[in-house]
Order: sequence, then structure tokens, then C-alpha cells
Amino acid sequence: MSQNTSFVVPANDPFGKATNGKLGMWLLIIVDGLSFSGLLIAGAALRASSTSWPVAGEVLNIPLTAFNTFLLICTSFTMVMALNSIQHGNSKGLKKYLFYTLLGGVIFLGIQIYEYYHLIESGFTISSSMYASIFYVTTCFHGLHVLSGVIYITCILWQAMKEKYSADNWDHVEILGLFWHFVDLVWILVFTIIYLV
Amino acid sequence: MDEHKTLYIKNAIGLAILTILEVGISYIDISRTSQIVLLMAFACTKMMMVAWVYMHVQHETKTLKWILFIPIPAGILFAAALMYDIPFRWVV
Repeated sequence: MSQNTSFVVPANDPFGKATNGKLGMWLLIIVDGLSFSGLLIAGAALRASSTSWPVAGEVLNIPLTAFNTFLLICTSFTMVMALNSIQHGNSKGLKKYLFYTLLGGVIFLGIQIYEYYHLIESGFTISSSMYASIFYVTTCFHGLHVLSGVIYITCILWQAMKEKYSADNWDHVEILGLFWHFVDLVWILVFTIIYLV
Repeated sequence: MDEHKTLYIKNAIGLAILTILEVGISYIDISRTSQIVLLMAFACTKMMMVAWVYMHVQHETKTLKWILFIPIPAGILFAAALMYDIPFRWVV
């Protein structure tokens, strides 16, 4: 018995032309967003119930982290340019911008490790205070996302080197871009709440 | 230059300027409440700029936009519930 296995997307599909992979990534982003919300809101609640709270600027290196924030914004730009390049069939541009994004992510992680090293050296450890615990848990959780993103970019860059992507096949790059922009988007909130407020 | 590329560059410049302003606000001598409101407003604007332009939310369907909106009220509800709980935390 023959079966028609082709799947026709209905004209009024509520998700338009979004692929399953893209919808899956959006779902991950929603769940991950709620995880970050949990951490940040729990931190805010602990802070609201605390009688004393340190001034972030006196403990943390704000100019250095502001530079890191700027760097992450730049990598969001290079990531969207990587997608823009391959959508126009520019494979060389894709590889170039993916490499810049990867480099930015690695530098971001390097600066974060440098920051941790100096903070721990000065006695600001995870068990120092409630503020220190919130700081390390939230920034480490984000750092792990950046690390995942760096590994993810490396995998896609490897595929790009093998000329897997073209003007008609850029779905994987778009999904990677969604994840990386989410990492940037979350950092904007983490930077404001943990470092500035 | 490609129309999209110009938009992406403008967005990146806007994000960088807002970051500089945010850091500046954290150092200036204004009331704590004004500082928090301003910083959160700037952060929300920056997040919207990343989502709308770089994540291309503007081109998604209405249904997907509504689904993506879910974490915002959920987060606010969670925050409100936790904050409401604070005065009763030490009552046994």
C-alpha cells in the first residue's frame, strides 16, 4: 500500500514559514527566559528583604563589564550580519562574521574569568554574602549560556567551512542567531540588575 | 549599502549609546527610585531593540508574537507574588 508522506503546510498556518527547528528554539528561549527570570526575581526578593546590601560599584568592576556588554552587542551585530550574508548567497561573509562572533564570545568569557579571578583573590567568594551568591549564580548561569553559544557557533562555522549553507539553505544559521541574540538580550537585563541597580 | 545592513548598524549604535547612558545614570546623584526606574526602562528598551530588529520578531506572525509575550506577564506575576510574600516571611 502506498502512502503519501508529503506534508503540506496550510495557508493559514499560525506560525507562517517558521520551521520546526525555529519553533523549537523559540520554545527553548521562552523556557530559558523564565529560568533567568526566576534567578533575577529571587535575587530581587532577597534584596528587598535584606537590611543591608552592598553598592555594586564598590565591589564589582563596572567599566570592565560595560565593555563586555558593548562587546556582546557587537557580536549580536556580527551574528545578524552572518545571516544577512548567507541570505544574499555570500558564503565568505557568513564565515567571516561567524568567526568575529565566535571571537567576541571567547573574549567575553575570558574577561568574565579575569573578573572572577580578581574578585575571588580579593575575598569576594560565592559564600561571602547573599549578594555574592546571587552575583556568582546568575553570571555563571549566563556564562554557561555564552559557552554553549561558542560551541554552537563553532559547529555551524565548521559546517559553513564545508560550504553546507547557501542562499536557499540558511535555516541553521537563523536558529543559531536566535540563541545568540537571546544570550545578548538576557545579559542586558543581568548587567542592569546585578551591576547597576 | 543594503537597507537591512544600515538598520542593523543603527541598532548597534543605539544599543551602545543606551549602554553608555545606563552606566552614566548609575553614577549620577539622583533619587534611588528614579535611578531604578530609568535603568529598567533603558534595559527594557535595549531588550526590545535586540528582539525586534536582530531576532526579527517584527517579521513573525501574530500568533508567535503572542506566544513570545508569555514570559513577560508570567515574570511580573512571579515577582509580585514573591514581593507580596516578603512581609510574612518571618511569621510562623
